[in-house]
Amino acid sequence: MARQQALMIDIATGDVRPISKQIVDAVRLKVATGELTPGWQLPSVRGLAQQLTINPNTVAKAYAELTAEGWLESRPGLGLFVATPRQRLSPRERERRLDDAIQRFVHDVVSLDYPADTVLARLGDELRALATRKSA
Amino acid sequence: MSDYVIETEQLSRSFGRKRALNALSLRVPRGRIHAIVGANGAGKSTLFRVLLGFLPPSDGASRVLGRDSQALTPEHRGRIGFVNEEHTLPGWMSAEAVTAMQRRHYPRWNEAMYRHVLGHYHVLPHQKISQLSRGERAGLNLALALAQSPELLILDEPTLGLDVVAKRAFLQALLDSNATEHCTVIYCSHQMEEIERLADNLIILERGELRHMSSPEDFCERIRHWVADIPFRAPDHADVPGLLLAQKIDQLYHYTVLDQAEDFGAFLRAQGARYVQSMPVSLDSAVNGFLAKNHIAPAA
Repeated sequence: MARQQALMIDIATGDVRPISKQIVDAVRLKVATGELTPGWQLPSVRGLAQQLTINPNTVAKAYAELTAEGWLESRPGLGLFVATPRQRLSPRERERRLDDAIQRFVHDVVSLDYPADTVLARLGDELRALATRKSA
Repeated sequence: MSDYVIETEQLSRSFGRKRALNALSLRVPRGRIHAIVGANGAGKSTLFRVLLGFLPPSDGASRVLGRDSQALTPEHRGRIGFVNEEHTLPGWMSAEAVTAMQRRHYPRWNEAMYRHVLGHYHVLPHQKISQLSRGERAGLNLALALAQSPELLILDEPTLGLDVVAKRAFLQALLDSNATEHCTVIYCSHQMEEIERLADNLIILERGELRHMSSPEDFCERIRHWVADIPFRAPDHADVPGLLLAQKIDQLYHYTVLDQAEDFGAFLRAQGARYVQSMPVSLDSAVNGFLAKNHIAPAA
């Protein structure tokens, strides 16, 4: 029997992101940071809908997107499980997203007027901390 | 069996000179939760009264569960559950007496469903309806409507006047009942929070006409909020394409627009904007902007 993991997320109404998108973002983050363990089972569609007081179709839509992107895998008759991480994007798309993220980061940081070395050191600390959490 | 639970064709209904429904053509597919939104006076209540055969149309036709609204038999009406904001149950009767009456009345009565839904509330069998709180009356009403195993469940502002806790309890009872596995739900509400949580499909009525129908997400994508810094004269409202709302806040012009692609930014620049920014809007803002179209604020 696979172990079921609680999905500790909450959604907000009135957000510019639709609820299904909020679920997708939250699950991605939890898988990426290792908070959700590969191989563990997720709440059922109905279960998560009940937990969040939302329409089950919204959960189904989010789960379908996460499955299509390879974050979750469906085992017929058993349910949905956290997939073993693998590279989900084409090299080109991956490169493009990294570029976007760096541009956004630079825009935010430039006005703060820190020396580049300080910013890089802080960024390095954060990324290393993430890697530790993931391997823990 | 019809693929549509509700079909209206050029449906009109006037009261004196006022047109409550104006050549409304609406087709609601079977299954799922459909939210109907509209300002007060949009014609929702009239629509339901005509659909259920309580009011004849002035013109046009309507069908509900595939049958002409004006020719509904008690058997057909039994397949439609209706909960409205008033939660009108006879105040002098006890909860169990009302339930016994309904149980006799509906041949497809589902006792397990009734108990399950009412399990969300503390309603004692001998309590008089008039002694129940508004939230409990709403819950009892929902339990009664779902227990009749309807094919179509119409909820007309069921949470109006309920406090936050009772509202949430109502949504939980509805979702927990798995109602959509057995019936189509029509949910009328002004509460965007509830619509965001519940609706698969969003139907917007305005002055008796159908203005929009799609998933809530697709609707939000039609609307975008732009902010521009225009140092000289801003364009006349009439010249702004797709304008829903315009506001000048401090030195900046805010525009909420419908169906405008990225070239709206080029339009603003051509009008002398030094910089422009845009962002998506929440469902609440999208619906408000859409319905506020005819209430544009005076030019600054």
